[in-house]
Amino acid sequence: MVDDIKILVVDDERVVIRSVEMVLKAEGYDIEGASSGKDAILKMEQNNYNLVLTDLNMPEMDGITLIRWLRQQKPETGIVILTGYPSQETIKEALELGIIDYVPKPFTPAVLLDVTQRAIEWLRKRGVVEEKPTEEFPPSMLDEIDRVIKQYKEIPGSSIPVLQRCQQIVGYLPPHVQKRIAKGLNLSPAHVHSIVSFYSYFTMKPRGDHNIRVCLGTACYVKRIEESLNKLKQELKIDVGDVTEDKKFSIEVVRCLGACGLAPVIVVDEETYGAVTPKKVAEILEEYA
Amino acid sequence: MAKLTIADLKKIKEKQHATFTLREGGYRAKVTVHMGTCGIAAGARNIMTTLMDEISRANVEDVITTTSGCAGFCAREPMATVEIVNKAPVKYGNLTSDKISEIFREHVMGGNPVEKYALVVGSETTY
Amino acid sequence: MEKYRANLLLCAGTGCVATGTPKVRDALKAELEKQGLADEIKIVLTGCNGFCAEGPVMLVYPEEIFYQKLTVNEIPKLVEEHFLKGRPYEKLMFKDIEKKHAIPLMNDIPFFKLQVLRVLRNKGMIDPESLDEYIARDGYTAAATALNEMTPEEIIKVMKDSGLRGRGGAGFPTGLKWEFASKSQADQKYMLCNGDEGDPGAFMDRSVMEADPHSVIEGMIIGAKTIGASKGVIYVRAEYPLAVERLQKAISVCLDSGLLGENILDSGFNFNLEIYLGAGAFVCGEETALMRSIEGQRGMPRPRPPFPAHKGLWDKPSVLNNVETLAQIAPIILNGADWYRSLGTEKSPGSKVFALTGDIRNVGLVEVPMGIPLKTIIYDIGGGVNKKKKKFKAVQLGGPSGGCIPQELIDIPVTYEDIVKTGAIVGSGGMVVMDEDTCMVSTAKFFLEFTADESCGKCTPCRVGTRVMLDMLTDITEGRGKEGDIETLQDLSKDIIATSLCGLGQTAPNPVLTTIKYFGHEYEAHIKEHWCHAGICSDLCSFHIVDDLCKGCGACMRGCPSNAIVGEKKKPHRIIQELCLQCRSCYDICKFGSIEIRPALETKPEPAVKDEEVTT
Repeated sequence: MVDDIKILVVDDERVVIRSVEMVLKAEGYDIEGASSGKDAILKMEQNNYNLVLTDLNMPEMDGITLIRWLRQQKPETGIVILTGYPSQETIKEALELGIIDYVPKPFTPAVLLDVTQRAIEWLRKRGVVEEKPTEEFPPSMLDEIDRVIKQYKEIPGSSIPVLQRCQQIVGYLPPHVQKRIAKGLNLSPAHVHSIVSFYSYFTMKPRGDHNIRVCLGTACYVKRIEESLNKLKQELKIDVGDVTEDKKFSIEVVRCLGACGLAPVIVVDEETYGAVTPKKVAEILEEYA
Repeated sequence: MAKLTIADLKKIKEKQHATFTLREGGYRAKVTVHMGTCGIAAGARNIMTTLMDEISRANVEDVITTTSGCAGFCAREPMATVEIVNKAPVKYGNLTSDKISEIFREHVMGGNPVEKYALVVGSETTY
Repeated sequence: MEKYRANLLLCAGTGCVATGTPKVRDALKAELEKQGLADEIKIVLTGCNGFCAEGPVMLVYPEEIFYQKLTVNEIPKLVEEHFLKGRPYEKLMFKDIEKKHAIPLMNDIPFFKLQVLRVLRNKGMIDPESLDEYIARDGYTAAATALNEMTPEEIIKVMKDSGLRGRGGAGFPTGLKWEFASKSQADQKYMLCNGDEGDPGAFMDRSVMEADPHSVIEGMIIGAKTIGASKGVIYVRAEYPLAVERLQKAISVCLDSGLLGENILDSGFNFNLEIYLGAGAFVCGEETALMRSIEGQRGMPRPRPPFPAHKGLWDKPSVLNNVETLAQIAPIILNGADWYRSLGTEKSPGSKVFALTGDIRNVGLVEVPMGIPLKTIIYDIGGGVNKKKKKFKAVQLGGPSGGCIPQELIDIPVTYEDIVKTGAIVGSGGMVVMDEDTCMVSTAKFFLEFTADESCGKCTPCRVGTRVMLDMLTDITEGRGKEGDIETLQDLSKDIIATSLCGLGQTAPNPVLTTIKYFGHEYEAHIKEHWCHAGICSDLCSFHIVDDLCKGCGACMRGCPSNAIVGEKKKPHRIIQELCLQCRSCYDICKFGSIEIRPALETKPEPAVKDEEVTT
C-alpha cells in the first residue's frame, strides 16, 4: 500500500529478516527476504526492488560485493546497510559506492522505520520512485484533517484524539496523513507512527466498503467463533486484515466487544450479529452482496 | 438550565416520584425498553419503533414509553418492562415486533399480561 | 427436612382428602419409588391449607411451588417434569384466579432472587439520559452531602471503614488510595476513571456506563472533593460507542445544571470532567500505562514507586478508580460503612458484579454478595450449563490474568482471598463457563495468544516469554508436544511472573498454570497419547461411530462437509477416516451421542506436510 515500494532485505540470519519483515510489513511495505548475497542477486534478476537493506558480514558473498554488483546492474536501486560492526573502512567504501544510509544493529523498530522512510523520501526526490498521487483524498478531506489538528493543537497529549478523528475522516491512516498530523502537531513522524502502531484501534490499511469485525473475546471463543471466522475467510478468500479484490469487504479481528450475551458475535459496519454460525455467516454476506 | 441547589434536588425528586408512580402523573401505563449494547444488537430499536407505531395507531395519550439500560438478563434480550397503574411490573423477554404488538394490545391496552412471553413479575429490590 | 432434596407437603385436610389426597399420595409414592427418588424426596401430609376449593393441593419445598387439583393420572408426568427434569409442571401449578396468569414472581426465580442490587441499583429502572430520573432515585444527594457537610478526612474514614476494595481487579482498598492522594501536596491533582474494560468476557463496566452514567460521575465528584482534584478524566474504550455517548450527554447536562464546573451545589468546589477515548490496548488497564496514554504516548507501564497518588497524570497526584468502584461510592456515603458491610465477608465486604457468559443458560449481568458460593452463581443464578446432556467442566475467572476453576472447587465462596487460593483471581468480574466439550489446553493457548499480542513489549520476559510459551502450546495442540514440556511451561511461568513490571506480565501465565494444575491429565493426553478428548485439536483426535448407539438417521451424513460418512438408512453408519477433516460437525449434530472421540490415528491416511516455513 505504501506507494508500491518493493523492498529486499538481505541477511544471513533469519531472525533479522523476520524482524525487518515484521516491522515493515505492518506498514504495508511489500518486502521479501534473501539469506545470502547470491540469493539476493537471483531474486533481483527476476524482480525489481526499489530498496535493498543489506547486512555487510555474510559468508560466501559479503555485502560490499553485493553493493558493487548492484551499482553496476541496478543503479536505480536505493541501498541501506544493516550492520552490527561497522568499521571505518567498510562504511567509507560503502558511502563511496552510494548508499543512502545505515542502520546499526541492534535496532529498534522506530529507527528502522525512520531510516526506511527517509530512504524512500530520498529516492522520491531523485525521481526514482513516483510519489503516489494523493488524489484519492479530496481537498475537503484534507481541510477537515487540518481543522481537527488546529482544534487540538494547543491541548497537551492530543495526538490520540487527533488520530482517532482523522481515521474517522479518512477511514485509515496512511503515511502521508500521519506526516500531515505530525507536522501539524509539531511532533516527529516517528512518534506519531509509534502511537499508530501501538494501539489496535488504528489501521494503516484501507478497509473495504463493508468492514467485518470478528470478536475474539472469551465468550465468543468458547462458543467457537473460530469456525465462523474460517468460513468468512474462505468465502471472501482473504485473510484477517485484508480487503477483497473488489474492495467490498475487509475482515478485522477485535478484542471483546462486550456483547457476550450474544456470543459469538460479528459486527458488519455498525450492525451487530449475534449467535453466528458458519451457516449464518454465509447468509449475512448475502445481505451485503 | 439554571444551576441546581440542594433544595432543587429535593424538588426534582418529589416531582419525579409523581411521574414514577404513574397514578399521580396521570399515566395509565409505562413501557420501558431495555437498550444497552446487547439489547440494541438483539433488536431493541425495532421493538421501540413497533411500540411507537402501535401507540400512535391506537391514538392513546396515557401510555408513556421510555428507554433504559441493560436489564442484565442478556440471554433473554431484547427485553421490555410493562407497568400498569396499581399493578406490579412485568418483564418480557426474547421479544420480536409481533410479540410486542401483541403485548401492547393484550397487556397495555387490555390489562392482561401475555403469559407466554412474560419472564417475571415484580420489581427488583435494591439494598 | 435437610436430609431430603425436596419435601412434598400434601394437604390432608378434610376437603383435600375428600377430593382424593389418599389416592394421590399412593400414586406419588409409587412413582417416586419407580423413578428411584424415594430416598431423596419425602412426602409429608399436612393439615388444611385453606385452598380446599382447588384440592388436592401440594406445596413443594424448597422451591415453594404450589400444585393444585392433583389427579392420579397426572402424577407420573408431574414427577418426571419436576423431579427428574427439574422444571415445574405448569399445567398443575397454582394460578391466581384473579390475575389469571402463571408468570413467576421475582422471588420465584433464582436469577433475580439471589441478586443484591447496589452497583446496579438503577439497572433497567431509569432512563440513562435523564438527570431527573437519576435524582429521583437519590442521585447526587450523596455528592451534596460530601461537598457541603463532610471533610475529606470524614469521607476517607467512611470509605476505609466500609472496606470497599477496588473492583478493577487488584482489589486495593479505595479509602487508602484516596487517603494517599489526599495527603499529597500539589497545585493540581486528577481524579480519573478507568472505563477501559479490557478483559475478554467482561462487560460489567460497559453496562454500568450505559445504564447509569450519573452514578459514575457522582462517584468521581465525591472522590475529587476528597483528594482535592479540580480536573477529572473518564478513560473509555472507543469500542463502546453507546457508553461514550451516554457519558457525554450526562456530562453536558451536569455542566448545564451546575453539578459539574464551578461552585458545584453552592459548595465552592470546582470540578471539570472530560472523556478520553482509549485506542485499544489491553495494557492501558494498568494505571501508569493508562496515564501515559492520556498524555498522548504509547501506553506502557512504568515502575512504581512513585505511585500515581504522588506522581500520576502529568506527574501530578492522581487517583484512578474503576467504573464499578465509583458507581458504589454514593450509596456508601448515604448509608454508611456499616450498611456496606452488611453484605459480604470481613475481608471482602459488599457486593460484586459478574458477567456470566459462555456455556451457561442464563447469560447475564449479576450482582451478588461477596462470599456467595461459586456454585450458587453458576447453578442457581446461571441455571447451569446451557446444553442438555453436557457436563460442567470449568469456570474461568479474571480473564487473561485469571484462571480456570474446576468442578471439584465449585463450592468455594467468592471472595478475593478464597479465589486467589485456587490460582485464579476475582479480577474485574468476567465469569466464563465451559462445558465438557472445551479443550483446556486450547483454552490456555487462547488466553496466551491474547496476552502475547497485548504485551507492550517493554519487559523482555513478558514479550519473549509469552511468545515461547505460546509456541509450546501450539506445538502441544498440533501434536508436536514433548515429554517435559509441562515442566518447562511451569518454569517459564515462574520466571515471567517474577520479572515482569506490570500486572499483565505478572499474571499472564495464570491461565496456563491453573489449567496444568487442574487439568494436567489433558496436557498429558495431548502430549503422550495424541488425544484431545474434547475433539477440539483437530490433529489430535479421530471420530468414530459407535454401532450400538447409531440409529442410522443420516443427520451426520447430511452435515458432513467432506462426505466422509457412509451408511444405509436405519443401519449404523461409518466414517471413512481418509476423508474425515476432524471438523467435529457430526459430533455436534448427532442427537444420540453415537460419535466417539478417540486419539489421532497412528498412521495418518494423508500425512499433512508440516513445514516451519509454511505460514498461514
